Amino acid sequence: MTSSHSAISVRNLWQVFGPNPENIIGSPDALLPRAELRAKTGNTAAVRDVSFDVAPGEVFVVMGLSGSGKSTLVRCLTRLIEPTSGSVVMDGEDVLQANGSRLRELRRTKFSMVFQNFGLLPHRRVIDNIAFALEINGVKKSERHARAQEVVELVGLRGFEQAYPEQLSGGMQQRVGLARALAVDPEVMFLDEPFSALDPLIRRDMQNEVIRLHKELGKTMIFITHDLDEAIKVGDRIGIMRDGAMVQIGTPEEIIANPADEYVADFTRDVPKSHVLTLRTIVRPQADGESVSGVSLDAKTIIRDATDAVVNAGGAVTVTDNGQSIGVITANDILRIVGSGASA
Amino acid sequence: MSSIVEQELIPEAKKTIPRGWIFAGIIVVWAIIGKIMNGKYTLAVNLADQTKMSASINDWANHLGQNRQSNPFFVYFITPVREFISGLVDFIRSVISVPLAHSSIPMLGWLGIFAVIGFIVFITSNFRQSLFAMAMIFSVGALGLWTQSMDSLALVLTAAILSLIIGIPVGIWAGLSDRGLAVVTPILDLAQILPTLVYLAPVALFFLIGPAAATIATMIYTIPISIRLTAFGIRGVPKSPVEASVSMGTTKWQLLRHVQLPMASRTIVLGINQTTLAALSFAVIATLIGAPGLGDPVVQALVLRNVGDGAVAGLAVVLIAIMFDRSTSATLKKQGIYVPPSEKAIRNRRIGIGIFGAITVAAIVVSRQFKWAAFFPESINVSKPIADFADKFTSGAVDHFGFATTGLNTLITETILNPLESLLTGTPWFITSLAIVAISFLLGGARSAIVTTILLLAIVSTGLWQDTMVTFTQTIVATLLTMIIGVILGVWIGRSERADKVLRPFLDAGQVLPAFVYLIPMLGFFGPSRFTGIATGIIYSIPIVVKIVGQGIREVPVNMNEAAISAGSTKWQQITKVQLPAAKNSLLLATNQGLIFVLAVIVIGGFVGSGGLGYLVLVGQSKVEMTGKGLVAGLAILLLGVMIDRIAQYTVRRNSAPKQ
Ligand SMILES: Nc1ncnc2c1ncn2[C@@H]1O[C@H](COP(=O)(O)OP(=O)(O)OP(=O)(O)O)[C@@H](O)[C@H]1O
Ligand SMILES: [Mg+2]
Repeated sequence: MTSSHSAISVRNLWQVFGPNPENIIGSPDALLPRAELRAKTGNTAAVRDVSFDVAPGEVFVVMGLSGSGKSTLVRCLTRLIEPTSGSVVMDGEDVLQANGSRLRELRRTKFSMVFQNFGLLPHRRVIDNIAFALEINGVKKSERHARAQEVVELVGLRGFEQAYPEQLSGGMQQRVGLARALAVDPEVMFLDEPFSALDPLIRRDMQNEVIRLHKELGKTMIFITHDLDEAIKVGDRIGIMRDGAMVQIGTPEEIIANPADEYVADFTRDVPKSHVLTLRTIVRPQADGESVSGVSLDAKTIIRDATDAVVNAGGAVTVTDNGQSIGVITANDILRIVGSGASA
Repeated sequence: MSSIVEQELIPEAKKTIPRGWIFAGIIVVWAIIGKIMNGKYTLAVNLADQTKMSASINDWANHLGQNRQSNPFFVYFITPVREFISGLVDFIRSVISVPLAHSSIPMLGWLGIFAVIGFIVFITSNFRQSLFAMAMIFSVGALGLWTQSMDSLALVLTAAILSLIIGIPVGIWAGLSDRGLAVVTPILDLAQILPTLVYLAPVALFFLIGPAAATIATMIYTIPISIRLTAFGIRGVPKSPVEASVSMGTTKWQLLRHVQLPMASRTIVLGINQTTLAALSFAVIATLIGAPGLGDPVVQALVLRNVGDGAVAGLAVVLIAIMFDRSTSATLKKQGIYVPPSEKAIRNRRIGIGIFGAITVAAIVVSRQFKWAAFFPESINVSKPIADFADKFTSGAVDHFGFATTGLNTLITETILNPLESLLTGTPWFITSLAIVAISFLLGGARSAIVTTILLLAIVSTGLWQDTMVTFTQTIVATLLTMIIGVILGVWIGRSERADKVLRPFLDAGQVLPAFVYLIPMLGFFGPSRFTGIATGIIYSIPIVVKIVGQGIREVPVNMNEAAISAGSTKWQQITKVQLPAAKNSLLLATNQGLIFVLAVIVIGGFVGSGGLGYLVLVGQSKVEMTGKGLVAGLAILLLGVMIDRIAQYTVRRNSAPKQ
C-alpha cells in the first residue's frame, strides 16, 4: 500500500514528553527502554518511531496496554498534542506542517474525534452539542439544526434533542459524541476508547452501531481500544503498540495466527481462535489414504462457521481458494483449534 | 491497615518531643534574659513623637500635597482617575441617595428603589429571593438608615462593578495563561495577607479623602477576589470538553466563549458574590477616608462607645450583606443545573416579569411624584427599641454575667496577654528578635529564619518596634484561643453529621458579615480593652478555622479510623492519635488562615482599645500631623503580616504530610 492511496499515512512519528525532546530523537538514548530513558533524562517517549497507513474506508484499530501510547498517538495525528517529529499525510497534505488556521480548517472539515469520557458540553442541549462543530464554522442556525437532526436520527437519538447531556445515560451520551463527530461529515474519524466507560451490554450495542455506521457511511476510522474482542469485531486491521512503538500490524487473523512476539501473543491468548481464524490457517495437504467427502469450503471461511459443515461431512473437507483446491481439513483439525483457544 | 496508622504516628512522635523541648528552652532563656534586662533597648516611642521615617514621610506627604496641581503623575493619572470614579459614584448616588440639584429627592424615591431591587433580584434569581430582598431593604429603612444605606449601596455597586470589569478579564488571563498566573499570584497572595485598614491611608494620600478614594481603596481590596475566583473557575473547567472542542477546530475566542466561560460560570458568579460582600465590608471601614453611608454611624458608635446605636447601624450592614448573599447565592444555585424548564414554567416566568416590570415602572413614577413614596416614612422606625434592647441586653449581660465577661477578660489578660506582652515588648529588641528567629527556624527551617530576620530588621527600621510587638502579642493570643475553640468545633463537625448540620449555617453566616460589626457586641460585653479586639478576632476567624479543620477530619481515610477502633482505642485516643495527626495539613492551613484573619481584626481593634499599630493608623487618619506615623504603622502591619504568613507558609511546607 503506498501513501498516495492511503487516507492517512503516518511516517516516523515521535512524541517525547519532557525537557528538550528534539535532542532525544536520533540520539542513542532513543533506543533505551522507556523506563531507562525516563530515569536518565527525565523524558517519556510516549510514541516512538511509529509508521503505518490506513486505507480509505478502512477501520484501523490501535491496541496496547495502558500507557503504551495509544491516546498520545491519536492526539498527535490531530495535533491535540504536537508531535516531536515525523509526518502525518492526509490527502497529500502533511497535517504537521499546517499553520494555525489551516489546522482549524482541517479539524472542522476533514476529521473528527470521539472521546472516552465523551467531552460533551453540559450547558448545551443535545441538538446544540451535535451542531456545535457546525456553529463554530459559521453555519446558520436553521441549517445546522437540520443537519444535526439528520445525525440524531442516524445514531438513534430521536426524541432526546432537547435534553441536556447529564439527563442521558452513558451509552446515550456517547451516541451524542458519535453524532457530534459525524455532523461535519468528516473523511476520517478518530475514536479513543469510545466505549471503555460503558457497561458490557451497552458496549456491545455501541460496537454494532459503529459497524452499522461504518457500513452505511464508509468512513475511515482509527479506533483505539484495549479490548481485543472489540478490536476484532470492528477492525479491518489492528496495530499493536507497546511502550510507544508499533510492534505488529495486520488483520486480526494474521495477528492471532502469527503473533510477532510474546507481548502480542499474551494479548491474543484469551481470544477464541476459532472465532477469528479462517480455514486457510489450518488447511493441510491431504494425507495418504484419507477419504475426502464431496464437501468443499472457501479458505476465507471462519473456522467457527465451518464447524457444522465439517463435522457433518463424514470425511475430510476440501478447502478451496478462488475455486482451486489448496488442501483439506477434518473435524479433528477443528477440534484442536477450538480446544487450544480458551473457551470457544 | 494498622501499619498505615503506625507509619503516620511513629515518626510523628519521634519528631515532636525534642522540638517541643527546644521550643520550651527558647522561651525559658528568652524569659530569663527578659527579666534581667527588662526595659532596656525596647525602642519605645511616645504616641505623639515622630520616628525618623514618619517625619520624612510627613514631609513627603506635604510635598505631594503642594505639587498636586503641577506634578504630571497627578495631573495625567491620579486626578483623572479620581474624577472618573467620583463622577461614577456621584451619578449612582444621584439615582438612589443624594437629592438632585433642582429637587429634594434623588432620581428615584424610596418606593422606586424598593421595587427596582425586587425586580432585579427577581430576574437574576427568583420570586422568593426577590421578596426576601425587598424585606431586607424595607427593614433597613425601618432602622432609620435609608439614606445611609443607599449611600453605601451606591459605593458598593460602583466598587463591585468596576472590580468585576477589571477582575474578570484579568482572571480569565490568569486562568488561560501560565504566565498570567505567575504575574498575578504574588499580588493576590499579598492582597490576602494585607489587613484592610492598611489600604486606607496610602490611597487617601494620593486620591484625597472622599468617595472616590473610598471606592478605589475598596476596589484594591475586591479586585484580587474577583481575579482569584475567575482564574480558579477557568482552571477548574474539566479537560475533556475543552479538548473535544479544540479537536473540532474552535478558535481560542470560541473556546472561551462557548466552553470555558459557561462552564466556569458557577465559580465566576461565586466571585461576584464574594466581591460584592467584600466591597460591603470594606465600604464600612472606608468611612475613615470619606466613604458616605453606614460606616459613619458604626464608627461613631464605636468611638462614642454607644452600643445601642452601633447595634442598629451594624444590623443594617448585616441585613444588606444577607440580602446580597442570598440573592447572589440563589443565582449561583441556578448555574450548573441543566434541566429544560417546562413550557408552563417559561410562560409563567414571562408573565411574572411582565407584571413585576409594570409594577416597578409604576412604583418609579409614583416615587417621583408623591412625597410618601419619595421619602421613607418616618413613622416606621424601629431603631429606638432596637438600640434600647441592645443596650439593655449587653448591660444586662454584663450585670448578670459580669463575673463571666470581666472574669474571662481578666483571666486571659493576666495569665497570657500581659506576660506575653511584657516578654515581647519589655525585653531588648535584639533578644526578642533572636527568639522569634529561633522559633521561626524551629518551625520553618533555615529559609524561614532568614526571611524572618530580614522582616524583623525592616520592622525595627520603621521605628515602631514596640507597637508592632503589642499587635503581634494580641495576634498570637487570639490565634491560640481561636485554634483551641476552632479545633474542638472542627473535630465535632468533622465527626458528626448532625453537628455539621447545626453549625454550618452559623459558620456560613459568620463568614458573610464584615469584621467591623462584630466589634459592636464585643464592645458591649467587654468594654474598651485589648481583650475586646482579641474576642472579635476570635469570633471573626473561627468560621474559617472550623470549616478547614472539619474538612480535614472528614477526609481522614475511613480505614485508619476503623483500624484504630478495632485496636480498641477510646474516642479520645481516636481523635488525638489518629484523626488529628492525619488531618495535620488541614490544621496547619487553618492556623495560617486563622493568623491572617485575626491580624486583620486586631488592627481594627484600635477602635476599641487594642492599642498597637491599629491605633496609630486610626490616629494617623484623624490628625494631619500624624499622617506620616499612620502610614508607617500601616507599613509595619504589612511587614508583620508578611512575616507571620511566611513563617506559617514555611512551616506548612516543611511539615505537611505528603499527599496520599
Ligand atoms: N502530558 C504528558 N506529559 C508527560 N507524560 C505523558 C503525558 N501524557 C502522557 N504521558 C505518558 O505517555 C505515556 C503514554 O500515555 P497514553 O495516555 O498515550 O497511554 P494510553 O496507551 O492511551 O493508555 P490508556 O490505555 O491508559 O489510556 C504514558 O507513560 C504517560 O505517562
Ligand atoms: Mg488512553
